[in-house]
Amino acid sequence: MTVRFILNKKPVAVEVESNRRLLDVLREELRLTGTKEGCGIGECGACTVLLNGKAVNSCLVLIGQVEGAEVTTIEGVAEGHTLHPLQKNFLATGAVQCGFCTPGILLSAYALLTENPHPTDDEIAVAIAGNLCRCTGYKQIMDAIRQTARENESINPRHG
Amino acid sequence: MIPRFRFIRPNSLSEALLALDKNEKTVVLAGGTDVITGMQQGDARFVSAGSVLDIHHLPELRGVNKAESGIRIGAAATFTEIVNSPLLQSDFPLLSQAAVSIGSVQIRNRATIAGNFVNNAACADSVPPLLVYDAVVHICSACEERQMPLADFLLKPNRTALKSNELVTEILLPKLSAGYQGSFWKLGRRRGIAISRITLAVLLKKSGKIIEDFRLASGAVTPIGFRFRELESHAKNHEASDQLWKTLAAELGEAILEKTGLRWSSPYKLPVVQQMLYGLLCELSNGRPS
Repeated sequence: MTVRFILNKKPVAVEVESNRRLLDVLREELRLTGTKEGCGIGECGACTVLLNGKAVNSCLVLIGQVEGAEVTTIEGVAEGHTLHPLQKNFLATGAVQCGFCTPGILLSAYALLTENPHPTDDEIAVAIAGNLCRCTGYKQIMDAIRQTARENESINPRHG
Repeated sequence: MIPRFRFIRPNSLSEALLALDKNEKTVVLAGGTDVITGMQQGDARFVSAGSVLDIHHLPELRGVNKAESGIRIGAAATFTEIVNSPLLQSDFPLLSQAAVSIGSVQIRNRATIAGNFVNNAACADSVPPLLVYDAVVHICSACEERQMPLADFLLKPNRTALKSNELVTEILLPKLSAGYQGSFWKLGRRRGIAISRITLAVLLKKSGKIIEDFRLASGAVTPIGFRFRELESHAKNHEASDQLWKTLAAELGEAILEKTGLRWSSPYKLPVVQQMLYGLLCELSNGRPS
């Protein structure tokens, strides 16, 4: 089957078997290997991408289901060679250790800050509850997201 | 690896129903949190599918709106839509509480309300609240429509009253009269992305000290989501008292044991479920609003 969708702001068309998951097509056909496969059953969040702006597990989406949709992967977050503030802050706070969960967590945080630029700590915790990280203990990840939200605030003040 | 199948993506509900009528061995796909993981893991219910019919995107099946006699929830409304619905938060808060406890943001962004109960898994978290709210399921095929209470729709584990050419299209929650208080309680092994071990939903309406209505449903701890009608009738028209709550809690344990038989987990689960019901009833009768 042919599936057409918008990937990282550019239209793509892929010719694939219908039993492929979005995750398989991203990694194996489109060679975007930033999206990781962890558990393959929707529990670990390593394969998180944005589908029409919402964080989803790409292991739970069949490729046919993204026809006409907008998909953002970790490769679509930076602007050219300029890192996204979340990426900069993940590096600055040491939120990356083995790095396997990082693309997924970063996209969950991206979706959160897009909908809610000034989240509370509880809201951050809920947003990344579907992303397992076995290295960091989450503290540095929370710090990175909090820091990005604070920078948001200085650009875009809450009581502006 | 997922077996091969024909992928059908209809443009409307009527196209979906026609496709379902024409194609045997069709698996209906919405959020995919059961179907795709099932296919991936070789679940016999899904791997023999000749066709997969995707209904997740159909606008007729989405949304939460006011209906004539209550609230209508589209069958493919996601749990994120349900969590965010002010109508449900104000009028059916136990469903909102159950919805927010399901999976993770990623799961709630895909998983749908009807998808939660069409496979009739014991641990479907939306079922106990839907049961105490007397939810009605609206069902369509290419040639007819019918409605039935959710309690009658859920037959036994993995079995419902849905025929192979039918889709659940809506869930209707009849308007609840004023004065109800309620609680939803869930026990999982952890807070996020946990499959429930025990869920309870309770609704209580008192007139002075007298119990006018009492509704109780469980999930996970019974083979399918279940309304304890006998217990409910024991409470109705009685005076609310600590002793009555203790009696009901004890009876709940006995009723569950009768349904499930003695299991390895019974010595742990039964005291927990009894203590929880007692605790919830004490909280509710002390006037904690919900």
